[in-house]
Amino acid sequence: MKKSFKLEELDCANCAAKMEAAIAKIPGVKKVNINFMAQKMILEAEDDAFEEVLALAQKKVKEVEPDCVILI
Amino acid sequence: MTKKQKKNLKRIILSAAILGILLALMEIPAIRDRLPFPENAIANRIVMTLLFLIPYLIVGYDIVTGAFKKIGKGQIFDEEFLMMIATAGAFAIGEYSEATAVMLFYQVGELFQSIAVGKSRKSISDLMDICPESAIVLRPSESDPDKIEEIEVDPSEVEIGETVLVKPGEKIPIDGEIIEGTTSLNTAALTGESLPVDRTVGDRCFSGSINLTSAIKIRTMAAYEDSTVSKILELVENSTDKKAHVEGFITRFSRVYTPIVVLSAVLITLFCALFTNLGLAKSLYRGLVILFVSCPCALVVSVPLSFFGGIGAASRQGILVKGSNYLEALAHVDTLVLDKTGTLTEGRFAVDAVHPNEIDESVLIDIAALAESRSNHPVAESIVKAHGGHIDSSRLGEVEEIAGKGIRAIIDGQTYFVGNGALMEEIRADHHDCHLPGTIVHVARCNAQNSGVCNSVTDVISDAAANDSYDAAAPTAALTGAANVIEYLGHIVINDVLKSGSKDALTGMRSSGVRKVVMLTGDNEKVAEKVAKETGVDSYYAGLLPAQKVEKLEALLKAQGASGKVAFAGDGINDAPVLTRADIGIAMGALGSDAAIEAADIVLMNDDLRKIPVAIRLARKTLRIVKENITVSLAVKIGIMVLGALGLAGMKLAVFGDVGVLILAILNALRVNRVKS
Repeated sequence: MKKSFKLEELDCANCAAKMEAAIAKIPGVKKVNINFMAQKMILEAEDDAFEEVLALAQKKVKEVEPDCVILI
Repeated sequence: MTKKQKKNLKRIILSAAILGILLALMEIPAIRDRLPFPENAIANRIVMTLLFLIPYLIVGYDIVTGAFKKIGKGQIFDEEFLMMIATAGAFAIGEYSEATAVMLFYQVGELFQSIAVGKSRKSISDLMDICPESAIVLRPSESDPDKIEEIEVDPSEVEIGETVLVKPGEKIPIDGEIIEGTTSLNTAALTGESLPVDRTVGDRCFSGSINLTSAIKIRTMAAYEDSTVSKILELVENSTDKKAHVEGFITRFSRVYTPIVVLSAVLITLFCALFTNLGLAKSLYRGLVILFVSCPCALVVSVPLSFFGGIGAASRQGILVKGSNYLEALAHVDTLVLDKTGTLTEGRFAVDAVHPNEIDESVLIDIAALAESRSNHPVAESIVKAHGGHIDSSRLGEVEEIAGKGIRAIIDGQTYFVGNGALMEEIRADHHDCHLPGTIVHVARCNAQNSGVCNSVTDVISDAAANDSYDAAAPTAALTGAANVIEYLGHIVINDVLKSGSKDALTGMRSSGVRKVVMLTGDNEKVAEKVAKETGVDSYYAGLLPAQKVEKLEALLKAQGASGKVAFAGDGINDAPVLTRADIGIAMGALGSDAAIEAADIVLMNDDLRKIPVAIRLARKTLRIVKENITVSLAVKIGIMVLGALGLAGMKLAVFGDVGVLILAILNALRVNRVKS
């Protein structure tokens, strides 16, 4: 499943790159792309694991930028 | 500015004010010498620290808390942590004002970055303003199905085939065809053209255009999500997903660069601590300076920002670039390949020359136009258009279309034959081809006294054959004697019209750095030569089948090698394979041609070839700014790192090296938006 999410409070380009790298390592993630300028994340992951992957992704995001949230 | 940004600005101002006051106070001898516990140095220090902590915390509390939060999550080598350690270190060695000033300066930089990024994002969301928020749809009312009501709905709720009313001053919400009304539209949001265009019943119009003069009713032809505006927005938003090589390089570079720098910082610290007499605090300080100035933020932010700005600037010119990588490739374009029909030419026909045999030009056109008036073949239409006046169809009798050859028409009681060379050959008309290139339409008249002879082509031939004067061996020889019935009246030369901007576009392309321009066409050699000469292309290949066009492109790509990029511009309808194969595929006729938008990398919203040089210049400027940013950032940072290692640079310079360079890089990146056409 491939879905696009809006990211709130994404202010640092370096952070976007770090988040992208961290989320890419989550098992079940096929592809992830974080567009800093558009504040958008495109996540492609296995259908049955999508919910968990998303939750983990949110965690990783907060680790890098505590204020940043993925709008579901 | 957002609320958060405004709050930060207030904090900065307040903190700076307090810092200023403290510094001023410290200058006054009376106060400086009257500090409590003058002999007790430590207490003195505590007081000073507390005093300066006020402005420090006002401007930097979020950095400190952020640093602690991140340590808890394992993220240690982050900016916040570095800032905190560095400034704590500064407090420890008694540099109170420096610590506070550094924090202040850092926050200024962060605020600036936030504003710049916000501005860039806003320029894209301003594009969103071309998105209409509502549509007035005409539907039968629920209470009385015979009555049509005007209902205001969200544009996404309008179905294909429904009728939408657009009043003057409003935006057209969905792509559609005008079914009622005549008006003029402002298509600036889509094409960058500020000149209004006239549209009437039967014309297509696109979402995002502003209706200027009168109300019109439109029958929708697409769903809202598929309408032009939505497509453009999606394209631009997704454009930064395709990263340019340069961006990829920066990411890879950062991954290598950061560990190296951290290692260097640690080494320098150890070296200074162990082998010099600087002491641990000062050695650590130097290491921190190096670490701080090394942050690759300026690089990582400015590169995407520049490309985003470039793509935004391009879309304001009606040039849609589908990816940063294409913008980058465009900057290196060396060879430009152009399709002929529909790209260099308009793709419609017009009369170029009229060559009558003995009669008047106007008479020839008159006859031809009358004969062709019932046909909707583009050639027929061009003749009718050249006639210009009213076609008196009362003069026109029977019209017979002879497939592949032309028309037999009875005008004013006489039989005329209007058609190509093959038709003329069949009726034994003494025709001659024109020296001018193009499609030739010949006109001949059957002068037979016996009108029955002219009833059909075969009748004419059999009549001629019945008369001995027909020489079967010389079929185009003039018929002699009484059987000389076919009189050749002359011919009309018709050609595809060159686009008005084509020649200028070619000049523009060369001046923007394209070295070679090649034209490919399926049309014949003569026509191709004419167009080639008129536009000024370097070389051309004619008579190509679609597959052969791809072959030619492959050959050009091979010849180009790695020394530059090959771009192809076509109108998309049958050029999809070539568009995909080229390094950069540029599509014309984007309005309405889905195939073009799909296959192409760059889309020219208004079919104007003159936009290509504009796009090239924009691409080059963007790339130049990106390179400038990278070079300056790295040079300054490495310079300060070296100075820091030698002890010649303090935290203030380190913060400048990071924040100052960031601000400069962002300002430079915003320059991309200021490109004139």
